[in-house]
Amino acid sequence: MSMLQQGETPTVSDALPLDEEGAVEQQTRANRRFRVPGWLGILWENRKSRVGLVMLAIFLIVAVFAPLFSPHDPRSNDFAPNLDPGSGHLLGTTTKGEDIFSQLVYGARTSLIVGVVGGLLATAIALVIGLTAGYLGGTVNEVLTFFINLALVVPILPLIALLSAYAPGQGLWVVILIIGLTGWASGARLKKAQILTLRSRDYITAAVFAGEGLWQVIFREIMPNMISLVVVGFMGSAMGAIGAEAGLAFLGFGNPETISWGTMSYWANNQGALVTGQWAWLLAPGLALSFLIMALTLVNFGVDALGNPQLREE
Amino acid sequence: MIYFVRRFAVFLLTLWAAITLNFIIPRLQPGDPAERIVRRLNPNSRTVDPNQVEAVRKMLGLPDTNIFEQYLQYLQTLVRGEFGVSYSYFPFTVTHMIGQTLPWTLVLGAVTLFIGFVVGTLLGAWAAWRRNGPFDSVTTLGATFLGTLPSFWIALLLLYVCAFKWGWFPVGGGYSGDAQPGWNWAFISSAFEHSVLPAVSILLFAPIGWILGMRNNMVTILGDDYTRLAKAKGLSERRIALWYGARVAVLPNVAGLALAVGGILGGSVVIEQIFSYPGMGRLLFEALRDGDYPLMQTVFLFIIIGVLLADLVADFLYGVLDPRVRRGG
Amino acid sequence: MSLLAVDQLDVTYLTRKRPPVQAVRGVSLTIGPGEFVGLVGESGSGKSTLGNATIRLLSRPGEITGGTVSFNGQDITALGEDRLRPMRWRDISTVFQSSMNSLNPVMPIEAQFRDAIQAHSRASNGQVRKRVAELLTMVDIDPSFMRFYPHELSGGMKQRVALALALALEPKFVLLDEPTTGLDVVVQRAILERLRVIQREQEFAVLLISHDLGSVLEFSDRVLVMYAGEIVEEQAAADMLRHPRHPYSRGLLGSYASPTAKTIAITYIPGRPPDLSKPHQGCLFAPRCVDAIPLCRMKAPELLPLGDGLVACHVAKMRAEAGQLPEQQGRSWRTQAAGAVFTKHTVAKDPTGAEDILRFEGVSKLYTRRRGFKTTLVQAVDDVSFVLSKGHVTALVGQSGSGKSTIAKLVTGIERPDSGEISFGDLRVDRLGRRGLRDFRKHIQMVFQDPYSALNPAHTVLSTLMRPLINHKGMSRGQAQSRALELLETVGLTPPERFGQRHPHQLSGGQRQRIVIARALAPEPAIIIADEPISSLDVSIRAEILELLDGLVREQGIAMLYITHDLLSARLLADDIIVLNEGKVVEAGRAEDVIANPQHAYTQLLLRSIPNPFVEETAAD
Ligand SMILES: Nc1ncnc2c1ncn2[C@@H]1O[C@H](COP(=O)(O)OP(=O)(O)OP(=O)(O)O)[C@@H](O)[C@H]1O
Ligand code: SF4
Ligand SMILES: [Mg+2]
Repeated sequence: MSMLQQGETPTVSDALPLDEEGAVEQQTRANRRFRVPGWLGILWENRKSRVGLVMLAIFLIVAVFAPLFSPHDPRSNDFAPNLDPGSGHLLGTTTKGEDIFSQLVYGARTSLIVGVVGGLLATAIALVIGLTAGYLGGTVNEVLTFFINLALVVPILPLIALLSAYAPGQGLWVVILIIGLTGWASGARLKKAQILTLRSRDYITAAVFAGEGLWQVIFREIMPNMISLVVVGFMGSAMGAIGAEAGLAFLGFGNPETISWGTMSYWANNQGALVTGQWAWLLAPGLALSFLIMALTLVNFGVDALGNPQLREE
Repeated sequence: MIYFVRRFAVFLLTLWAAITLNFIIPRLQPGDPAERIVRRLNPNSRTVDPNQVEAVRKMLGLPDTNIFEQYLQYLQTLVRGEFGVSYSYFPFTVTHMIGQTLPWTLVLGAVTLFIGFVVGTLLGAWAAWRRNGPFDSVTTLGATFLGTLPSFWIALLLLYVCAFKWGWFPVGGGYSGDAQPGWNWAFISSAFEHSVLPAVSILLFAPIGWILGMRNNMVTILGDDYTRLAKAKGLSERRIALWYGARVAVLPNVAGLALAVGGILGGSVVIEQIFSYPGMGRLLFEALRDGDYPLMQTVFLFIIIGVLLADLVADFLYGVLDPRVRRGG
Repeated sequence: MSLLAVDQLDVTYLTRKRPPVQAVRGVSLTIGPGEFVGLVGESGSGKSTLGNATIRLLSRPGEITGGTVSFNGQDITALGEDRLRPMRWRDISTVFQSSMNSLNPVMPIEAQFRDAIQAHSRASNGQVRKRVAELLTMVDIDPSFMRFYPHELSGGMKQRVALALALALEPKFVLLDEPTTGLDVVVQRAILERLRVIQREQEFAVLLISHDLGSVLEFSDRVLVMYAGEIVEEQAAADMLRHPRHPYSRGLLGSYASPTAKTIAITYIPGRPPDLSKPHQGCLFAPRCVDAIPLCRMKAPELLPLGDGLVACHVAKMRAEAGQLPEQQGRSWRTQAAGAVFTKHTVAKDPTGAEDILRFEGVSKLYTRRRGFKTTLVQAVDDVSFVLSKGHVTALVGQSGSGKSTIAKLVTGIERPDSGEISFGDLRVDRLGRRGLRDFRKHIQMVFQDPYSALNPAHTVLSTLMRPLINHKGMSRGQAQSRALELLETVGLTPPERFGQRHPHQLSGGQRQRIVIARALAPEPAIIIADEPISSLDVSIRAEILELLDGLVREQGIAMLYITHDLLSARLLADDIIVLNEGKVVEAGRAEDVIANPQHAYTQLLLRSIPNPFVEETAAD
């Protein structure tokens, strides 16, 4: 709700007096030179989201260069089982004799892939449905709103689990696909609401009078004003996707051969890691998940503030 | 009045759509669903036993008729409450299994939903009223960070620490073996003892959404003109906070109740499975694990119906609380 | 003794990210019991901030950073909220700038009176109900409405309720912050008139804040003029009307004129107010002032007595000392223009010779509105006919809801009429298909009411202007760019290169409206529909936009449909006026004739509702 209307209201900074034209120009030029997307700059300005962006960058680097960071092959079970942390294995080994730290590093890959791909998919669907409902309005809107509301109330985890029970395979990509296909509803609702308000702006009518076609109106006039909402939506869907994959894997409904923080937790729980005192095996993936979600949450703080001036730091 | 009538009509329509969705999902996959299921049930055999396929087909209500007749038959069985026999709990019927587990989830879900909503809304309102004070910072930050933790992980830690290590609570199940289910003290106290840990695991997370939502709404509303006018009127702080701030700020939270029901029911799959709690979430988990298709279909259907009923109740409540929808167009 | 005394008050908005904004600086004023004082100034001049500070209702991040406010002899500048609370509403009450949102949406009207009354007295619910009925009757609202919720009332009714609420405890002082802004002229007038009558009866003091000097002058005893956080002039209303002394006051007053006069000249003040977060030297008005002398840029003028009032202006002071003020010489203040002047003479071109561009013949449009299970029919446009001709402006005048905007939609082809014909040359606009409409838009363009919503914040001025050129004129990007720069020059934004690179948020409201006009001109249309193009602009710059439109229409031979609720601007710009009421044309004719000699009662009502401080003056002419 908080990000429905943004960016259009005149603000205090609006009151630039005439003699300041030089400054304005400089600012404009600087913006063009660096080509930093506006929303990224605003995110960076917010203290919390800056921390989040840094954390996110660390996860990204670890995931991309996983082979460099992990001391061993995460699948090799050549080591002595049930080793304690330290002893040549930073976090110890599993009951099968795999290096826990290496699995943790590779798990970042899985989670990020799930987050990015699942998030993108959900965002894309949300955008299409939200755009169609919001821009066309009328009966189309009512029908789509009905489906959005339906999809919104259906509990996601059981739905995903049910769908994956019917799915032809159990690979990671199937899981991602299902997560993406189910997690669009809240994003679609927000985008629809935003488009409904944007659509009534005079500049949309003006664009039609300037001879723009439907797609030009949507992509030139509406989309640039929705970037922050799309970013928030993507972030939310990514979080949802990461959480859903982990939950599913923890329940054992993922592919147990995939190395992810969820499957690590599954095996740790399955093998009674806590009872046998292998704390690190369960704690590490849980904390890693928590930090990744936290990074995304922190980034979102900045985006939220964009839309709701009341939440801005005073 | 129109609002309530219209809302009920939407409920019926949504219910129908959900029931239909439940009909469609098993038929979405390419090929013969029954054959597929049989293949997955016996991953090691290369051939498919046609008798088995036929049996599955019967259980799923997938006769060799056209899709339209199948749909009609599906609706008939729904109305009669005949959901077939469970594979994994043979010879019990699906209906029987649901009857066994539904009360557990209903009680656990309703209690945690209620406590979570009340506690979360109150905390959020107080944080907004004392905005930027120490209470606000601690609550907001605490809620945000708690929200990033995976719930299954917290539940496992609770189970380990409070049950295994310290032995404060039983390690799982719904009641101890020596208690006789019914309205007797031994059973009720035992059931209560067994549900503490699952409830706590849910309640650690349940208020988060309410806290943050309430706080943000109320901060906005406290800056609104009518709240400022209330101050100009010389009303007491209490009256402003409750009747101008919280009274309006709670509305979006009420509207969000239905989503929360979905969240709690969804989460119950994980929580009930960790604590071996005999509810529908665990039943769904087991059905999914064992490939018990008739059972999982039906449990899922019940979950959806529960959510839709909650949605209806929440919307009626909203209508009662907000004159703008009740007496609007 | 004065009831309210403000002494050297400073108010600052302290934000963490931006430099502090000194919104009110060193303001002193007093209000006596039962006095009706007006406070005017353009948007952002600090009126609301000052008003809120005097009743201790500033909200964060605003803070009183200097000076004192005393009420009834008691210093309330730093009084704690607990001590202040008993005084609130009993002694001091208020109606907010946006009263539309100042009622609690989930409480019935009666309850909102009840909590205010019972917070300060032991009145029983029965007594409260009686009092509410009394108060509502006082503002011409039926008492049965007390059981309603705010969303069930119209804007004007909410405003009246807010006013009645403010008077519930018979306060000694009422702060009215733009109590009628956003309402229809006719409604505005009715509310203000009612207010003045009640105020005379009950003898409470009022501070009426408004950007509209016209209505303030009509209703107040004394007027304060505020510019950039400072009071620049204070005089009795009658004196202010006769001899405004500060150039800014003259500028504001110069934007009013009697629409019935033969020659109408209105002035405007080019430029915009200063940024209050920056340090300044000298007179803050100097960059916009026609009278400025070198001293003005060095030394800030003080608010000093001059005649019976107070003025902060070096030049006015020097002239007074030298006996050179216009009134001292027996001349009207209008001989000293306070800015650029837009003059309009009665003698317009002969309309018979002009070429007809668009014919609107016997057009009707019925809307069905669904509310719950009930459907109501609204006759938005009822058998309306008119002609738009080349180089002519036709004004469509009427209250909100009279069908003006529906006509605009019909003319542009967005809506289709139920009956009647709309023809553009041989083209039947009412029969155009999707493609036809798109082609038709080459010939018809729009200027919108709100320049903040009419420009896409994501695009630069240049790329906004290039789109119609590329789409309608088939230009290449390079051609479009140089043509766009020419257009900027046409609408007076120079140097065009500089403005072209800007985003809308880097422009003032007036500059934005110029861009909107430039965009409308881009495809060289035959018709322009201007829907209230000046009503959301500050009074001081309205004439500027009118002048621009006027010039463009005449030079480029465009047929313009000017939609407005404001008869004065219609008179200034239009050749013909069509008065619309409830979808019907009630009067139409040459602009001068309609204004000078209104036939229909509705036109007369509209004419009476225009704030016109000069009625007596013109009557005396
Ligand atoms: N919350 C705020 N934070 C920072 N600056 C503010 C805030 N509110 C107002 N201002 C600034 O204070 C100055 C005075 O604003 P104020 O609202 O008092 O003007 P006004 O005369 O009432 O204008 P209007 O006619 O638009 O109501 C403006 O420059 C404005 O930008
Ligand atoms: S002091 Fe100078 S600049 Fe200021 S208003 Fe007077 S004449 Fe103009
Ligand atoms: Mg104001």
